[in-house]
Amino acid sequence: MTVKECYEAIGADYEDVMGRLRKDERVQKFVLKLLDDKSYELLENSVASKDMSEAFRAAHTLKGVCQNLSLTPLFQSASELAERLRNAQDYDEDMEPLLEQVKKDYTHMIDCIRQLT
Amino acid sequence: MSRNKNVFEKKKILIVDDSEINRALLSDMLSNEYEIVEAENGLEASAILHEQEQEISLMLLDIMMPVMDGFETLEVMNKNDWIKDIPVIMISAETVPAYIDRAYELGVQDYINRPFDEQTVRRRVVNTILLFSKQKELTHMVTNQIMEKENDNKLMIEILSNIVEFRNGESGLHVLHIRTLTEFFLKWLIEQGEYGLSQEDIYLICNASALHDIGKISIPTEVLNKPGRFTDEEYEIMKGHALEGARLLQDIPLRENEPLIQMGYQICRWHHERYDGRGYPDRLKGDEIPIAAQVVALADVYDALTSKRVYKAAYSHEKAVEMILNGECGVFNPVLMNCLRETSADLKEELARSEGQNFQEEALDAVEQMIESGEVEVSDRTFKLLEHERVKYKFFAELSQEIQFEYTVTPEMLILSEWGAKYLNMPETFLNPKTEAFATSVFAEDDFLHLLEKLENSTPDDPVIEEKYLLNINGHERWSKVIARSMWSSWEPPEFSGAIGKIVDIHDELEKMNHLQVMAAHDSLTGLLNHKTAKTQIEAILSRDTERKYVLIVFDLDHFKQANDTYGHLFGDEVLKYVADIMKRNTRSFDIICRMGGDEFLLFMPYKDEIEPLVKRIFLLLCGQYKEFLISVSMGVADAKECGGDYDSLFHMADKALYKVKRGGRNNYCFYKNELTGGDVQ
Repeated sequence: MTVKECYEAIGADYEDVMGRLRKDERVQKFVLKLLDDKSYELLENSVASKDMSEAFRAAHTLKGVCQNLSLTPLFQSASELAERLRNAQDYDEDMEPLLEQVKKDYTHMIDCIRQLT
Repeated sequence: MSRNKNVFEKKKILIVDDSEINRALLSDMLSNEYEIVEAENGLEASAILHEQEQEISLMLLDIMMPVMDGFETLEVMNKNDWIKDIPVIMISAETVPAYIDRAYELGVQDYINRPFDEQTVRRRVVNTILLFSKQKELTHMVTNQIMEKENDNKLMIEILSNIVEFRNGESGLHVLHIRTLTEFFLKWLIEQGEYGLSQEDIYLICNASALHDIGKISIPTEVLNKPGRFTDEEYEIMKGHALEGARLLQDIPLRENEPLIQMGYQICRWHHERYDGRGYPDRLKGDEIPIAAQVVALADVYDALTSKRVYKAAYSHEKAVEMILNGECGVFNPVLMNCLRETSADLKEELARSEGQNFQEEALDAVEQMIESGEVEVSDRTFKLLEHERVKYKFFAELSQEIQFEYTVTPEMLILSEWGAKYLNMPETFLNPKTEAFATSVFAEDDFLHLLEKLENSTPDDPVIEEKYLLNINGHERWSKVIARSMWSSWEPPEFSGAIGKIVDIHDELEKMNHLQVMAAHDSLTGLLNHKTAKTQIEAILSRDTERKYVLIVFDLDHFKQANDTYGHLFGDEVLKYVADIMKRNTRSFDIICRMGGDEFLLFMPYKDEIEPLVKRIFLLLCGQYKEFLISVSMGVADAKECGGDYDSLFHMADKALYKVKRGGRNNYCFYKNELTGGDVQ
C-alpha cells in the first residue's frame, strides 16, 4: 500500500499534506509515528478516571497532530470533542457520541496505517 | 543544500511541545539549518533556558501542555527577563482569539497556525531570528557609541580645564581633586536625603565641576601668576574669573539648554559665593546659591588649602578641615559643615584611594547605570564571559562528584547538578521543590524547610551556612553536611533570590569518629570499659543518685602470673577473656564492668537490700576452671553509701579490703565496713 492509497483509505487529504510537508517519505515517517503515539490512550484513560482537563488536553493534542498530517476525519471528530471538553468539569452523557466517533475514526485510521508497514 | 558553511555556527532552536510527533515534525523541517533542542513542557523548557539562555536563538512554544503550559512558561520568561533575549513563536493548535491575544501580550513575536507548512515555518523562523539579532546588534552599537561619546565628552572637558590650569601654573590634579571631593560630598547629601539629589545629578555636577575655573583664561598672566599678595585692583581682576567663566559658557552658540552648560554656568558663576552673603560676584545668600556651586566651593577651598601654592605650603587634611570649620575661609552651609565634620576621616581615605585612579572607570559607571535603568542592553562580550563561566562551572561540578544544587525563588525551582541528579536517580529540575522528592525523600520532613529558613535568615554580608542532616541517599541513611550560600538581588534593600550549595557525605567520617570514641573508652582485649571511662561514669552516678545504694567490687585472679608463666601469654589472654565473658553474661546493662589492667577487674552495681548475697553470687560464678587453669579470685568490696560520694575514697576502701583478702591467703572476699570483715567462703 502506498502512502497515497493509505490516505485515501482513511479518507484523509493527501494533496494537502504533500503541499505542506513536501516529501512522501516524510509524510510516511510521521504517519507511522502515530502507531506509538499515546494521546489516544491518554484520552481513554482520562475519560475513564473522569479527569476532564487531562481528557481535554489529550483530545487537543490528537487534534493538533491530525491537523498537521491532514488526517481529516480524526481531526474533525477530535476537534469537536476537544471543544465539548473545554472547561468541562464532569463527565456528561452527551459526550458519549463524540467519544464514539473519535474511537471509530482512530481505530479505522490506525488499521489503515498498519497496512503501510 | 545547507546554506551554513560551518556546522558549529548553527543557531539553536528550542521546540516546546508535549506531542513527540509535533516536535519531530518541526525538527525535521528545521534541523538542516538549525540545531534543535526539545522540551516536553514548560518546566523542561525553563530548565533549559536557565542553563543555556544565551545559546537559544528562538523558541517555538505550544500552549496546551501538562506540568507547565505555554502561558506559565511565558510568565516565567518575563520574570527572568529571558523574553527580552529570546524571541518566541507560538505553535499552538489553539484558535480561540483570546488565547492568541494573551500570548502576544506576554511578549510572543509571532504565531504559526496549524497545520504546519514547511515553507511558512522556515520563513517565519528565519525572519524572526534575523529581526531579533538585528535589534541586538543595534543596541550593542548604541552602547558602544554612548561609551565613546561619554569618553570624548570627559576628555574634552579635561583638556579644556588642563589648559586653564597650565596657564595658572597648577598641575591638572586640581580638577581631579575637585571632582573627587565634589562626588564625595554629593554622595553624603544623597545618603542624608538632602536637596533631593539623584545619581544622575552627581554625574552631571562632577563633570561640570571641572569647568569651575575656566574664566581664568581671560585673566592676564602677570596677575594670574603673581607670586606675592594681590593689590586691591589685582584682586578685583582675579575675582572677575567667576563671571567671565559663566559668560564663556553662556555664549556657546545654540547650546544654552544643554544640562552640562547650565550646570557649568551655575558652578562658574557662584563657586565663590558664601552662605552668609559675603562672597562674590552676586553676594547671594544661603540657599540662593545653587547646591552644586556650594559643594564645588567647599571642594575648591579644601583643595586650595591642602595643595602647595607659590605663596603657601600645603596644609594637612586635619588642619584644612579645622580651618574651614572655624570659618577661616568664609561661611559655608551648616549642612555641608556637618558633612565635613562627620566624614573627615573617610574623606582622607577616599582622597588617598582615588589618587592615580583612571577616569575610564567613571565612564564605565555611567554606562553601567544606564544598563541598570534599562536604557541599553548588556553587550555581547558580557554574554561571552558569562558563557565561559558557565562552561567552567559545569566542568568543575562534574569533576567534584558532589551533589550540587541551585535554588531560585522565582520561579520556585531547584536544579541539581548533572552528576547529582544522576547519582540520586532524580530529574535535574523540580518546580515547587518543597513538595518534591528531593525535599521530601532525600531530606527528612522539615529539614529542607529548616535549610531554606537558614538561608533566608542569612545576610548578603554573611551568606554562607553549614548544616548537618541525616539524609536518605538512594535508600541509605547518611549523615551529610550541606554547605550553601544565599543569593541576593542587587537592589536596595537586597532581596533573597535563591541559593547555591552542595551536599557532602560525612557519614564515614562521623562513623570513624564514633568508632574511635568507642575504642578509646574500652579495653581492646576484653571489650570491657577501661578504668578511666569507668571512673567517669561512676562519678556521674555518684553525684546524680544521692541515695548511693551501689557496691564497688575490685578483684584480681589468684596466681594469674603462674598461668602466664606456665602456659604462655596467649593462654593468659584467653583466661582474661573468659573471665570477662562470665561477667558480661551475668551482669545487667546498667552495671559497670571494667578491666583496670593486668588481671585486675572492677565491678560497680546497684543493690536492693543486702550486699552480701550479690557479692557471693559473683564470687562463686568466677571460681571455676579454664582449661588447665584453676580460677579463683580475691575480692575487695565497698559500699558506696560510705564514701561520701567521692570515687577515689570508694576505690581506696575496696582496694584496702582486697589487700586484706590477699594477706589472708587469697580466694575470698572481704567488705570494707568501718573495720574489715571477711566472708565465710573458704
